[in-house]
Amino acid sequence: MSPLLASQIAAGEVVERPASVVKELIENSLDAGATRISVELEHGGIELIRVIDDGVGVPEHELYLALTAHATSKIAEVGDLDAIATMGFRGEALAAIASVSRTSFRSRPRTQVAAAEISAEGQTLSPPRPAGGPPGTSVTVRTLFFNTPARRKFLRTPQTEQGRCADVVRSIAMAQPNVAFTLTCDGRALLDLPPNQTARERALDILGRELEPELIEISADALDTLGTGGGTVGAAGASPIALWGLVGTPAVARATAAGQFVYINGRPVRDKVLQHALKEGYRGLIEPGRQPTCVLLVEMDPGAVDVNVHPAKSEVRFRDSSVVHGLVLRSVRRGLATADLTPRVAGAGSTAGASWNNRASGSAFESSPAPLGSPASPALFRPAPARTIDAAAFASAFREVRPAGNASLNFPALREALAPTRLAPPSGDASSENVPSPSASPAPLADTPATAASLPTVPSTGATPVPPAVGSMQSDAPEIEESLSPALQVFNSYLITQDEHGVLIIDQHALHERVMYERLLARIVGPDQRGEPGAVGVLERQAFLAPVPVAVTQRQREAAERLRPTLERLGIELDDLGPGGMGVRAFTSLLLERGVEPGEFVADMLERAAEEGWGTEGKAANAMPQPSPIDALVGERVVVEAVLHEVLDMMACKAAVKAGERLSDMELAELLALRQRIERSSNCPHGRPTSIRLSIRELEKRFGRV
Amino acid sequence: MKIIADRAALMEAANLVAAVVPARSPSPALSCLKLTAEKHGGVGTLTVAGTDAEASLEMTLTQVDVSQPGVAVVSAEKLKQILGAVAEGAPTITMELDGDQCKITGSHAKFRIFAFPAGDYPPFPDFAAAIGSATGPGAARSTFIHSAGGLLALVTRTVFATARETSRYAINGVLLKRDGRKIEMVATDGRRLALSRSTLKPQPAGGGAGGSGGESTPVSCIIPTRALNLLTRLAGDPEASVRIAVTDNRVFFAFYDVELKGKEGKDASGGGQSPRAILSSTLVEGTFPPYEDVIPKDHDKKATTGRDELSSAVRQASVLTNEESRGIRMTFSGKNKSVRLSSRAPELGDSEIDLGLTAYEGEDLTISFNPAFIADALRAVPEPEVMWEFKASNKPGVMKVGAEFLYVIMPVNLPE
Ligand SMILES: Nc1ncnc2c1ncn2[C@@H]1O[C@H](COP(=O)(O)OP(=O)(O)OP(=O)(O)O)[C@@H](O)[C@H]1O
Ligand SMILES: [Mg+2]
Repeated sequence: MSPLLASQIAAGEVVERPASVVKELIENSLDAGATRISVELEHGGIELIRVIDDGVGVPEHELYLALTAHATSKIAEVGDLDAIATMGFRGEALAAIASVSRTSFRSRPRTQVAAAEISAEGQTLSPPRPAGGPPGTSVTVRTLFFNTPARRKFLRTPQTEQGRCADVVRSIAMAQPNVAFTLTCDGRALLDLPPNQTARERALDILGRELEPELIEISADALDTLGTGGGTVGAAGASPIALWGLVGTPAVARATAAGQFVYINGRPVRDKVLQHALKEGYRGLIEPGRQPTCVLLVEMDPGAVDVNVHPAKSEVRFRDSSVVHGLVLRSVRRGLATADLTPRVAGAGSTAGASWNNRASGSAFESSPAPLGSPASPALFRPAPARTIDAAAFASAFREVRPAGNASLNFPALREALAPTRLAPPSGDASSENVPSPSASPAPLADTPATAASLPTVPSTGATPVPPAVGSMQSDAPEIEESLSPALQVFNSYLITQDEHGVLIIDQHALHERVMYERLLARIVGPDQRGEPGAVGVLERQAFLAPVPVAVTQRQREAAERLRPTLERLGIELDDLGPGGMGVRAFTSLLLERGVEPGEFVADMLERAAEEGWGTEGKAANAMPQPSPIDALVGERVVVEAVLHEVLDMMACKAAVKAGERLSDMELAELLALRQRIERSSNCPHGRPTSIRLSIRELEKRFGRV
Repeated sequence: MKIIADRAALMEAANLVAAVVPARSPSPALSCLKLTAEKHGGVGTLTVAGTDAEASLEMTLTQVDVSQPGVAVVSAEKLKQILGAVAEGAPTITMELDGDQCKITGSHAKFRIFAFPAGDYPPFPDFAAAIGSATGPGAARSTFIHSAGGLLALVTRTVFATARETSRYAINGVLLKRDGRKIEMVATDGRRLALSRSTLKPQPAGGGAGGSGGESTPVSCIIPTRALNLLTRLAGDPEASVRIAVTDNRVFFAFYDVELKGKEGKDASGGGQSPRAILSSTLVEGTFPPYEDVIPKDHDKKATTGRDELSSAVRQASVLTNEESRGIRMTFSGKNKSVRLSSRAPELGDSEIDLGLTAYEGEDLTISFNPAFIADALRAVPEPEVMWEFKASNKPGVMKVGAEFLYVIMPVNLPE
């Protein structure tokens, strides 16, 4: 087999289309420590791709190595493969690209007086010749697939290919807020991202500023003691891990995962463990089938994650996936729990989501009263501002310690970057270090310029904080004591009331269902254990004089056995009554109080459990590919939690007031009070919204007052 | 028809009977009361009757002057409203049927309401036929006489334990069992079971034959809760008699103003006495669960406590319960001869109430119950002391009052 053919085959894996070339070239620039990267495309990259950086460059005498297969400056020994901190490590990307295009590679290390360039066209590699240019590297790839016409034919229209290239640039740029990126297509500038942005600024520049009100900032870290506090695994391999992100409200969830930006150590990944944690974090907030908009940057010890799984490097394998899963799930849940997710009524029929699809009309967001995630509760209960890890310091901690060729992370530096935002341990309690407590106020970094993420600090006097400004509306809007607002029930199904942002229309069943769900869940897993499926509480159950009979099939009987431990925590005790039947020996008090018939409920539940395979490996296998022993454990916990949620869903739905049920004034008031107290009250457990809001501003607009 | 009736008496009857009649019905005649004025030997009576598919009630007034017998079928709701609206100052009411109009006059007020043709009203179950004939579809399987007070006690001590929800699975009725002079009623909602017994007086011979010894034939049937709730509003003088007749698919309760004594002659309707009220209901079909099996007999712990004291302690402890944390914990201590009631509602608080016991036998025990179940029973019994029997904290508790009342309650499992 000729070397060319071998390269071309390899190229098939690495280089599929212009976008993959763009990705490889940008990654090389980042590995070279570039602070500015510019990408030029002609004809969507089909005719020309050029990536210019200001990185360390390649000395003239090594130039030919860059285009030679398996020549990499990034990994010296096989051992390094275990801890990959650079984007590239195989040393095959450039060779592969060169084998299917006309490539020229021009580079000038800072110490070299002039640049040198080599070019390749298929097989032939020209010798280096001198060239002009600033320090850095410029790689030009022309007529991709010129020598493999079949593959060239498979390229899409220039617009499509250009779109994919732009997606790649955005995707990489998201996790590199310190690096400036420009993208020029056929002479038109498409993207211009300045250097030294905070992670938040970068994310907003890429997602679109108009989404800001719909994004909740989250951050968490678990250094040192990770795994010993929260879970049963990982104690041995304790390793640092930190997370920063923006999670979108349900209103900006989308039909595809196009709004998802997930990174491990700056590397965009599509990982099932992370996907699952994200999905669980949004459980009950978005309808099944929709995908949240979010940015998640996870930084962890490169030794704890294997990125050499797939040539495109978008898959990873964790040494301890339970830690990553738990951290992401907890952070996402906590972030969503503290935010007001009530969708706003914008123009007729248009929603925030629609506006996300049509960025030109950002008007729906102008009226947004307060950036979500900015708590406006009374001082006493005011949660601390979402921990604002200073994004710049955070990112630079990684950047600084990642010069090309140095694969090891400087954890002390990382820790230092995070340290000022971590809580002073109050009593040497290790667990308080793991989990950022929402009740303690972190000291903001003194020398950090305020970022968009920074929230107004709580005055130390303890005075009631001023609610977030609502533009000019604030002064006119009367102060409304929400709990005192009367509610009106209409059609025996909807409640209408007001809060400080506007008029709320509430679906009574959906809200009550959510209230029930959250109360039961809190009872079962404990309010502080969110995301940790460990057993905490059980629900009160009432025994029966004689078991209530339920006819079951064999598969339902098996399902009942699988579910038994979970059901017992939920207050449901089943007896095997011999052929064809089971009996309900005891049933959840709450459900009985709410008039739920035990036999009927259990029959329905077992039918679904048998049909949908609740509590079987099948579900675990879907969620966790290739289970290692540790993954199996996570998988099992995930399965148990999934069953718990399914049954809780059913319980909440059955116990909730129905649409069409007349509520007394007392019940109305109680339901509204509960809305204040519970988390994630904006959506029912099935993800449908429980309430919508007509903002004061919108009202004024409609009545022609503004 | 033309009558002058005592306003208060008519209003009371109308209100009671209206409770049987469906408030809304596709056929308006069904939401009506049927008023029948009669005159027998110079004595006038007015019968106010109403029925729906399940129950029917006929009440007969004697405080009436009938100048022209006849039948009027008028809207129950309107009649109730008119009788209520006429000033207290009007002791009597005049009603006169004029074609399809019914004129109602009281002091200074005059009303005319539409009267439906008498033939439009559905027929009533025939009580006289039930107790009068030996065979036939409407014949009673069993008839017997009990005192109104005795019957009321049987009902109030059981009816509270029926399932509150109208679920197609729950038994919305109370079992009535009669065997000779022994009579028993039982109700359960699956979590508790109330059983009340009483003894019939010697039955007057021939006071309603029921043919082949109908009176002594053992009978058991399930009576709908709704009819029994109505019944509790009908009982007057506790010594007065109620004649009960059970046919294949109905039960009749005929309330008299006096006690029916033996040897009353042949008058099937009660020895010359007409019943003041006849309540009738279809029976609940199906079989009552084998309740004997769930009454525990192997208790080894016994506590005696004052009814009022227990009632107040339970009321206090239940303040700090809520719908998801319903139970109260009872910790019996033999040494202190006391019980501690404790409750805890998440996010609300907790409580502890200590109560002295009159007596305690057996080992100490902790057991939890839904306090509403205890309170229900304590409300239904007038006796000053109640006795408890227990086996274990996951086994049913039994409350006993005299020989007449037995109450089985299943415990709840409180989360630790
Ligand atoms: N923009 C650049 N600046 C400096 N050096 C570069 C640049 N691009 C490539 N190189 C050098 O060329 C080598 C080969 O690059 P190539 O992308 O083929 O391999 P890699 O990045 O090491 O691994 P991978 O195949 O995983 O991308 C790199 O190891 C690096 O030394
Ligand atoms: Mg590379």
